Amino acid sequence: MIAIRERRPATRPGLVRVSAIGFGLLAGLAWGQVLAGGDSGAGDLFRGDTWTRAGEFAGELLGLGAEGESAFVDGALWQNAIGLSVETLAMSVLAAGIAGAAALVSFLPAARNVAYGELGGSRRAVGVPGYMVLRLLFAFTRGVPELVWALIIVFVFSPGVLAGALALAVHNYGILGKLAAEVVENMDTRPARALRGAGANNFQMVLYGVLPQALPHLLTYLLYRWEVIIRTTVVVGFVAAGGLGREFRLQMSYLHYDEVALLLICYLALVIGVDLVSAGLRRLAR
Amino acid sequence: MRAVPRAPRIEGRGLLTLLLIGAVGLSALSVPWGGDLVHPGGGSAVGSIVKALARVELSPEFLRITAYAAWTTLRFAVAGVTLALAIGLPLGVVASGVLTRSGGRKTASIVVARFVLALLRSIHELVWAWLFVVAIGLSPMAVILALALPYAGILGRVFADALIDVPEEPLRALRSAGASEIKLLVYGRLTIALPDMLGYGFYRFECAIRSAAIFSFVGVQGLGYQIQLSLDDLLWNEVWTLLIALAALVLLVDAWSSQVRRRLVS
Repeated sequence: MIAIRERRPATRPGLVRVSAIGFGLLAGLAWGQVLAGGDSGAGDLFRGDTWTRAGEFAGELLGLGAEGESAFVDGALWQNAIGLSVETLAMSVLAAGIAGAAALVSFLPAARNVAYGELGGSRRAVGVPGYMVLRLLFAFTRGVPELVWALIIVFVFSPGVLAGALALAVHNYGILGKLAAEVVENMDTRPARALRGAGANNFQMVLYGVLPQALPHLLTYLLYRWEVIIRTTVVVGFVAAGGLGREFRLQMSYLHYDEVALLLICYLALVIGVDLVSAGLRRLAR
Repeated sequence: MRAVPRAPRIEGRGLLTLLLIGAVGLSALSVPWGGDLVHPGGGSAVGSIVKALARVELSPEFLRITAYAAWTTLRFAVAGVTLALAIGLPLGVVASGVLTRSGGRKTASIVVARFVLALLRSIHELVWAWLFVVAIGLSPMAVILALALPYAGILGRVFADALIDVPEEPLRALRSAGASEIKLLVYGRLTIALPDMLGYGFYRFECAIRSAAIFSFVGVQGLGYQIQLSLDDLLWNEVWTLLIALAALVLLVDAWSSQVRRRLVS
């Protein structure tokens, strides 16, 4: 990797330089507009009472000064939160499963070299229009964030685990589909061509020449996405009313901030747990 | 097809695949499969959503609203990413542990910095935003901070790893020329790792647009806010316009950032 980088001519940073300047200008414009607006809130950050209020809020999160028993020693609340954590975990796994399955059945025709018949496959099978439609579908589902998908999906599905999982799955389908298609586009095509030369039909070529290279990547990407999905499941739960997210929204509106903190602890435990499990499974996949 | 050798360690992957399918199956049990999974009006909702695609709202006034909302979203994304870079870079340098040489203090600073980075990125930006809005009030700065913190957590970790992965030889040359640790960092590690770091920063810029769009949930203007307004009135033709604008904005930045990355990361 480094060797390649050293070979790169040092005098050709055209696009990079233009992009750096462009982003700098964009940043200047953005910050200028934010700070020029009288109510940017930047001044508040340097005022004492803002931090007094923030400190009070932090205290309430920790359960200081609350009347009655603190949420942290309430067994029933913990039990409820742990149940919701399990539901959240299920929602994230279901989302990853749906997204992975959908990507699995559609990533091949979305690879340029497959669609254009460069692997020697049949061009008529799905072909160029299919490639374009799928790429457009990936781009659109990927470009719209999970929460917005959730806002739309609750018009069709009842709020709950399934609605949330579907919203997460739609967005991640676009990401996984694109990544998996790119794996096929960048893979070593020699095995596939050798199989073709040996008289393999389309199905055999894909099964033995393409999938063994592509699937491990798809699996690894899926596990990486799971780490992102578990973080986002809570957010989707605000809208789709499943798992920790629903309860978080509820307790925020009741101003029960120590219960909010309890839910955040469960959230952090879930995120850290999924990161560890995903890392372990990825090692297994290697 | 017997001539094709089986991939080594297929057992591990086979086991993993079974495990994952089992996990998904088990998770599906938590869905109350029954009659009311779909709204009574769900079918007709699908109908009106699909029908609205044929008459996407393209009136000049609405396109102007869309363009302004897109710029608002872009503005938050850019501001958030720049602040994330400003927070993530120093944290990443500390977390890489390249500035300190001695044992005990080095380990302590690495552990603390890595813990802070992990905490920052473990909480979703929208959760940060909600907490900030309650803590310091709804303002553009509160939202920009909420975007910047988790992104700083991600950028910091990637930066730390990039700084550690710098090859030793150029550094040894600098060191033997008498460079201090600071100079070693600036002229050695940062210079060598910069393409990777900038490339990743640009990638996060794409993600930041989506993040900025959903801050509408705590009451911030932008594409997400307009989507919520149109959804409230069931104006699906407007929703389509806004969704397409959001996806187009993301794709535009994606195309830009992947071009930059292709030049930077060989």
